Amino acid sequence: MKILPTVCPSCNSQLKVKSLICEQCRTEIQGQYELPSLARLSADDQTFILEFMKASGSLKEMARLLGLSYPTVRNRLDEIIERIKLAEGLKEDKGEENL
Amino acid sequence: MTEITANNETATSKRLSQGLFNPFMFVAGFKALLLGLAIILISAFIGSLSNTHFDGILDVHTGAESPLWFFFAEGVIDWLCIVVPLFFFGLIVSRSSFRIIDVLGTQALARWPYLIAALVMLPDANRRIGVYIMSRLTQTTSPAAIDYIDMSIFAFAMILTVLMAVWMVALMYKAYCVSCNIKGPKAIATFIASLIGAEVLSKFAILSLADCVKVLP
Repeated sequence: MKILPTVCPSCNSQLKVKSLICEQCRTEIQGQYELPSLARLSADDQTFILEFMKASGSLKEMARLLGLSYPTVRNRLDEIIERIKLAEGLKEDKGEENL
Repeated sequence: MTEITANNETATSKRLSQGLFNPFMFVAGFKALLLGLAIILISAFIGSLSNTHFDGILDVHTGAESPLWFFFAEGVIDWLCIVVPLFFFGLIVSRSSFRIIDVLGTQALARWPYLIAALVMLPDANRRIGVYIMSRLTQTTSPAAIDYIDMSIFAFAMILTVLMAVWMVALMYKAYCVSCNIKGPKAIATFIASLIGAEVLSKFAILSLADCVKVLP
């Protein structure tokens, strides 16, 4: 499966969605859409979030599955939360600039 | 195939070095607390065999004969004296919520290099050199007989003890970063302040205890 690029390989800026297509009827929608916050995370972070959901949000279970200590897993989650907050903050700032 | 083997070897060596220099990535909480307490008590017991006192969070030296419980008390005081300031700095500086059991456990486990220090202080040569130095300094008793072998053993023990002290401080810092989720200059500054405070506090607590129960540390 191809990995969805989220940042520009040329200038490192955040990429946006320009078109969406229905594979069934070939209907194509064009526009300019923001990527959802979760989709903007790295592949590693997304995998971590998915595993965290599967473990019912239990850090202890995650630590057991990954073979890491509880604080290491909690710190990783805190880092991801920081990145999401930062990305959402940037999004809000850009929204205010556009107004 | 060769590439996969090479990748596996790299991953194994990476995990091994992480295990040596940052074991708290893999062990923390109650497990680390049990392991760490066992190490503190074993170190104290081995230390008691050669009258090696850990009378300060970083201090290791041969001293007077004391009851076994006093060696255990020294180890526990050293450990608690560093946990208290680190926990409070963590509460002030960290933006994460953290558990006290992780601070207690990781700081206890971080003291494992002093188990090696207790072992290298076992040979009687270290005690003889200690007596010799004290007698030269105080000029009260005749110097104990020492030879080149004693001096070599003592020099080796001193070098290894200093290395173990450096390693232990590095582990204590890593333990603090992992258990309280603090990084960068804030982590370094608060850790140094805690270390200095804990050294003073532990010295004071151990000397007060020794004075209280009339034991020579």
